[in-house]
Formats: sequence, structure tokens, C-alpha cells
Amino acid sequence: MNVAIKPEPSGGQAAARRHFSDINVMVAGQGGDGSLTIASLLSALFAHRGFHLYSTSNIASRIKGGHAAAYLRASVKPSGCMGDVIDLLVAFDDEAVEIAAPAMAPDGIVVFDSSKGPPPTGVLADTIRVFEIPIGRLAVRDLRRDLLKNCIGFGVVTRILGIDDKDAEGSLRHRFRRIPEAAMETNIDAFRLGLANADENGLPAGDSPWTVDEGGREEHLMISGNEAFSFGFLVAGGRFYAGYPITPATEILTWLERRLPQFGGIAMQAEDELSAINLAIGAAMTGVRAMAGSSGPGFVLMQEGVSQLGSAEIPLVVVDCQRAGPSTGMPTKVEQNDIGTMISGDYPRVVLAPADQGDCFEMSIFATNLAQRIQGPVIAALDRALSQDSTTVKPFDLSGVELDTGKRLTPDEIAGLKEYRRYLITDDGVSPWAVPGTPGGENLVTGNERNEWGLVSAEPKNRKRMVEKRARKIESVRGDLPKGKRWGDADAAIGLLGFGTVGAVMERAAERLAKAGVEVQILQPRTLWPVLDETVEFIRARRRVYVIEHNAIGQLAHLVSGGGAPKERMVSILKFDGTPFRAVDLVDFILEQEASL
Amino acid sequence: MTKTYTPAEPIWCAGCGDFGVQGAIEGAIAQLAIPKHDIIIMAGIGCSGTLQNNVGTYGYHALHGRVLPTSTGVAYANPELTVIAVGGDGDAFAIGAGHFIHTVKRNPNFVYIVMNNSVYGLTKGQDSPTMDAGAAHGIDATRLALSIPGASFIARGFSRWSRQLQELTVAAMEHVRAGRGFAFLEVLSPCVTYHDTYVTWEGMLENLDDDPTYDPTDLAAAFARGVALEAQGRMPAGVIFRSDGGAGRKIPPAMALQDIDPARHIDRYNDIMSSYAV
Ligand SMILES: Cc1ncc(C[n+]2csc(CCOP(=O)(O)OP(=O)(O)O)c2C)c(N)n1
Ligand code: SF4
Ligand SMILES: [Mg+2]
Repeated sequence: MNVAIKPEPSGGQAAARRHFSDINVMVAGQGGDGSLTIASLLSALFAHRGFHLYSTSNIASRIKGGHAAAYLRASVKPSGCMGDVIDLLVAFDDEAVEIAAPAMAPDGIVVFDSSKGPPPTGVLADTIRVFEIPIGRLAVRDLRRDLLKNCIGFGVVTRILGIDDKDAEGSLRHRFRRIPEAAMETNIDAFRLGLANADENGLPAGDSPWTVDEGGREEHLMISGNEAFSFGFLVAGGRFYAGYPITPATEILTWLERRLPQFGGIAMQAEDELSAINLAIGAAMTGVRAMAGSSGPGFVLMQEGVSQLGSAEIPLVVVDCQRAGPSTGMPTKVEQNDIGTMISGDYPRVVLAPADQGDCFEMSIFATNLAQRIQGPVIAALDRALSQDSTTVKPFDLSGVELDTGKRLTPDEIAGLKEYRRYLITDDGVSPWAVPGTPGGENLVTGNERNEWGLVSAEPKNRKRMVEKRARKIESVRGDLPKGKRWGDADAAIGLLGFGTVGAVMERAAERLAKAGVEVQILQPRTLWPVLDETVEFIRARRRVYVIEHNAIGQLAHLVSGGGAPKERMVSILKFDGTPFRAVDLVDFILEQEASL
Repeated sequence: MTKTYTPAEPIWCAGCGDFGVQGAIEGAIAQLAIPKHDIIIMAGIGCSGTLQNNVGTYGYHALHGRVLPTSTGVAYANPELTVIAVGGDGDAFAIGAGHFIHTVKRNPNFVYIVMNNSVYGLTKGQDSPTMDAGAAHGIDATRLALSIPGASFIARGFSRWSRQLQELTVAAMEHVRAGRGFAFLEVLSPCVTYHDTYVTWEGMLENLDDDPTYDPTDLAAAFARGVALEAQGRMPAGVIFRSDGGAGRKIPPAMALQDIDPARHIDRYNDIMSSYAV
């Protein structure tokens, strides 16, 4: 991909003292030594200043050691993704500098921990300023604790950003408000040691290279997609979850293991994913709102169970936090490559794709209710970034949450019936449901083809009626399925299509494309299956639609063309190197394409 | 009375051991006077995995090998139900073997009756993991279960010894209904079509229930007896091991009956939300 235009510097103008309303920070070193928590201290600082935040990390799939990086974007306007370049790097080793160098802004700043010597030469552009401070040595020599590198580094960084020392200390105290007083003072000492060393290294108070804005954002939540999705499930009455540890879905298991028991529920760590989905199926059969979750390889192991939900007509939410595959792939890297698996097999299901972290909450509630309505599988397609990256979102509206129990029968309703058939053929395909324990509701649930009574039958006429009945369930809810998010010029001849984590990047790209004279409209579908008319129409109505996704074969493009969208209008933009799309990548590619057409 | 499905006629070959198991389950339900709507029979896939259609209770046909996790989910989510899992030896000890170990360890409250015929009846007679031409029989799941911490009820019956089989089924159901945990009952249930073992198996069995000196609460003795019998080409029947370790456990009320109305929990939901506020 040729770089046609230069990456956009984050905020502000390139004056002698840069002023930021949008800044990207990277903190990197060896994982597990605590230095990366500088990013979370900065996060607290910017939150205090009323900025919107987006935070992510890049961690090798091992516990301690291995290169690791934490990233933070703080901006006055919401961003929803990282920017194109890194403005400020806090590097604890050479590798950090080498990895960050290609992404550094030309007028960026590097704080380098020089405990073991100067930074590598010839790696960084000459225009980048480097402050060498022996952070690690100071922590060990003066404070006897390696871990305090974080507060020392934080002190130095606040001087670069031109934050008043008292404000910075206040933010640190707020951040550590729950730790014991003695520990608090140790951290504050470290912070002051950082300030003292900043003084000695050309970063005196009141004369900073940079300054930052005040944000003025109202109170928000800083939450990841996995946390928001888990919370939504709880609020929607979800009380049973089963999973097997796997990156990047594990946080859902841990979140629910902590919270569900407080509400009379259970989250179970199963012996494998085959067990996990069947545990959840068992719970769901009793009428409990249940969910199973995994990622790529584990989601594949669950497929027989998902087909059972479709055939036996059992309501369950299955969440797939996709990661780079195939097979074990790259566990900690982003990809959107399970769509083919999610829609495979000849049975009805709905596949939802939350648009962003906040939407994970809404969509989790929707999914939990929808499973009850269709008595079948509802799959939620998350991805590594959406699952694990945290961002600021508006507080959730808890008072507006409603539960839909679909056609679940009460004991009184069953008592009033002359007869009860579990798989009764109905117009909307949904059969009234009696859960075990109800007198008069005795029934047989099976994944085998069966007659209305639940007794196994392979009789051709019955088979046909049953397949059609199940298919009608999806048609009956189609009109209620979540519509996509749209931005931009509704009449634009050019469209951008992408789901999940790609959404915010498309939005940032569209702003810049418009400035460059290319108006686009964006559609970020929130229902992947069935393919909604709006998606097909969106493509039909445009000259060209760029389909932007994190996988190697264009699974979304295949999906929508299978749903009736004209193939020849679609141009795929694919990324499968494990790193997330940057707005600049999209802008470059699209401008180049449009210029050549 | 609401009319529901009419229980099916068994599809088994005449003489199949599974008839004896169904008889014992029906007899036990009647003996304990449990209403049919409070029972769910969870079945595996196989000839044995059709039993649930024949009794008139709630029934579920699990995926092949997955009857244990599914039953665990049911038992945890609604402890008021009497859950009886049934299935074949292929289901239990081949495709579902991993779950067997973990289920014994978790000790959930349900009965598991394995109809062991040493073959895959439904797929026409292939060997199962309990078949071994050399030894008396292949995997002895009763000893496998004995080796797992958490085991609380382990018994073996023979489908032709119908009185004892019903007693064992009643004992297993009482064990789970008292909240003591997982009751594993292996039934030697010959397949007359592919591997007729009525005579050989009957000759190999030593009925521990007839031995007044045998103490089924003694784990070491249970092991020793199994090993000693195997050395003679024999195997134990009756209650092999029982433990009250699981008694008195706190069992949560049926989740399905809980009030999940968001309005009722709104204060606590708000507390959770505010932990994310910035
Ligand atoms: C995943 C899967 N693999 C294979 C089968 C085919 N299959 C059906 S029953 C069976 C074996 C049954 O043996 P067993 O569990 O001993 O039951 P029996 O018929 O002997 O009672 C097999 C392999 C299946 N239904 N599902
Ligand atoms: S094939 Fe064997 S196990 Fe199956 S019904 Fe016939 S006798 Fe029973
Ligand atoms: Mg068998």
C-alpha cells in the first residue's frame, strides 16, 4: 500500500510548543514489571481533565517477559480507536524504541529509561526529541522498589505535557485513593523523584515542550466490550454462563464468575468448550437465561452444540470474541474471521455484531431477549479489539431495560391447555414452551427430526414442515433486528462497509476523505445474519462500496453478496497482519483507488 | 389434565438388556412416588439413548457424548428437578470420557445410568472402550470413578437381576434427591444382536450386596476388591462405594424461578455501573 498522503498529526499545530486536543501515547517495555501502568496513570490524568479515552495493549501471549506495550489515546472529541501515529513514547528498553519508531510522529517525544545505557542510534528520526532518564535505576537506588518506575515515569511525562505539578499529584492521589496511606506516600515520593529528575533534564516546571487542552466531557464509563457485554447479560436477567479460558474471551468468564453468584446465578469454568456449550444448553432448557462464550478455536468446538440449539429449539446466547486464526493463530491479535463459521449449517440463527463498547451492553440485552423469542441460538460477533480495548462511553440507561420472555408458558397457562405439543407448528414458527417441572407440560426435546410431540420422525412431509417452521422464526423477527449505524453523506456514491471494531476507524477516515473531496457514506451493520435489506440496498445504491474487514478472504463481502448485494460494486480492503486498521491506511487506499478509476 | 405426548414403544431388539434398565427406572419412580413432571430423563445417543421417549417424564436427547455436561447444567439451574441421565458405554467412556472424570469430581446432583454392552449398538456393533478381548472387560468405569476425588455413589447392576437393579436405581435416586451428589450406576446391559454376554457376564459377577462383611464406605476396600476380582477374571456388582461427603451442601434455589426483573435489582446494577465511572 503506497502512502499517498502523510499521516495526520494527532492534534494541534506544529508550533514550537505543541498544544494537544488529541494525543496518542505508547508505553512499552518488558511485560509484567509494572512499568506499563504509566498508561493507566495517564488515563486517570486525562479522565480527570475531561478527555475521551481509548486504551489498548499489545501483549505477547505469555505471562511475564516478552515485549509489551500499552497505548492510550486521549482526545477532546470521542475517537473510538487509536490514531495514526504515536506522539509520545515512554520506552523502557531498546526494543520499545525499535518497535515504535516507524509509527512515531516526526515531532514526537520519547522518554527513554537510560538505566542500561543510551537509546539505540539511527532508529528514530532526527526531528524527534528524546529525554534520557534512568527511571529503573532511580527506582531501585533511591526507593528500593523496581515497581515504582511507573510513578517516576508519570512525573516526567506530566512535565512534558505541561500539567501543573499539583494537578498531576491530585490525579495520582485520586487514582490511588483506595490504597493504604503509607503506600500512597511511597508512590507520591516516586512521583516527586520523577519531577526532580525532569528538572535536571531540561523539563522544568512551567516551561514544557507541550501543553494539553481541557476536555469538558460529562461523566462517562471507561469500559471494555467484554465488560459491557457481560454487564448487559446480567441486566437482561442472564444467570448462567459457561466457558473455558481463552484469549480474548476470558474476561467474560471472570466477570461473570464474580458477579453472577451475587445474583443467584452461576458462571462455570468447564473442562472444555464441548462441555461449556452443553452446560449452557442444560441450564437454558430449564428456562434460565444462559450464555456460552469463546473465541476462534473454542467457538469451532462449540459448533455441534450451536446446531443442537438450532434443531432442538433451545434459547442461548453464544458470544465469540474473535481473534487472529486459523487454528490457534495469534491469540492476542485482532481479526474478524469466524463469520463463515457463524453462519454455517442449515438452521436458523441470528448473528449480531455490536458496533462499539457501549453497544456491547445494548446488544447483549437484545441478544438475551431475542434468544428467548426465537428459542434458538443468537451469536454475538465481537473481536479482540472490541472485547478488550476500553473506551469512554455514555452511561447506560438501566431504567429502560425490558425483558421479553417470548412464548414461554406459565404453569397456569399450561393447566388451561387441552393438549400440549412442544414443537407445535405455528405461523411465526415459534412453539409455546413449557419448561421441565411444570405439570402437564411433559415433553421431549431433541436435535433429531421429530413430530410436533417431540417423537423422532424422518417422515418426509413432517421433515419439510419442521424445517420450514424453524425458518419462519427468523422471518418473524427480521423487522426487529438491529439496524446498522450510518454516518456521512446519504447521497454519496461511495460507501464504506465494515462491522465491529472497524466502525470507528471508518468514521475517522470518512472525516478526512471528506476534507480531501471524497464524500462517503458509512454503514456499520449490527445484524450480520440474516443479511438485512438495508445492507443490500446500501450497496445497490452506490457506485462503489469499500468492504473493510480484518480477515484474509473477505468474509463480510462474501456474506453480503450471498445475501444479494452486487459483487461488482464491492472493493475489499483486508488486513490480517494482526494490527488494527488505521484511518490513514483507509484514506490512502481509497484516495488512490478513486484517483485511478 | 393437559394431554401430552404418548410415551413411545421401545425400539430395542427383543432380549436387549436396556428393557431391564427401563423397567428399573419406572419401578423406582413408582416406588418413590415422584410426579413425572418433576423428572427429566437426559439421554445420550445410541440404542440406549432412546429410553427417555418411553417413560412419560420430561425428556432430552443430548448430543453424542454430551449428556453429562448437559445434565449438570440442568441440575445446577433447577435443583428441584430429579435428573436421570442415561446412555451407552460409547457415549460415556469414548466420546464423552473427559466429561465423566469432571462430572464425578464436580459431584452434581443427578443419577447417571450407563447401559454397558461393550459395543456401539446403534452403529451396528463396533467395539466400545469397555470391550477388551484380553482382560475380563476393558475400562472398568467403576474403578475409574473410585479414583476421582469427589466420587459419592458408585454401583453396578445387571439388567437381568431386576430386583437388585431397581433397588440400586432407588438408592441412586435417593442419593441425589438428598443432595449428596452424583450417583453413577453402571448396568451391564447385553446387546443380544452384536455381543450377547448374558451368560458370561452373569458368571463373572460377584454381588457385594450379598456380602455382609463388605463396607461400601471404605474407599480402599472398594478398590482392593475390584482389583482382586479382576485378577480372577471377575467383577463386582451392587453398591461399590458411597460417601456422604456431599451431604448438607448449600443448593441454590432454581434459577429459572428467580425474579430477574431489572427494576428489582436496579440499585445493585447501578453500583456496578458506577465502578466504571470516569
Ligand atoms: C458426534 C457423533 N459421532 C458419531 C455418532 C454416531 N453414533 C451414534 S450412536 C454411536 C455409538 C453408540 O454406542 P453406545 O453409546 O455404546 O450406545 P448403544 O447404542 O450401545 O446403546 C455413534 C458412534 C453421532 N451420533 N454423533
Ligand atoms: S442392537 Fe443391541 S443394544 Fe441395540 S437394541 Fe438391539 S440388542 Fe439392544
Ligand atoms: Mg453401547
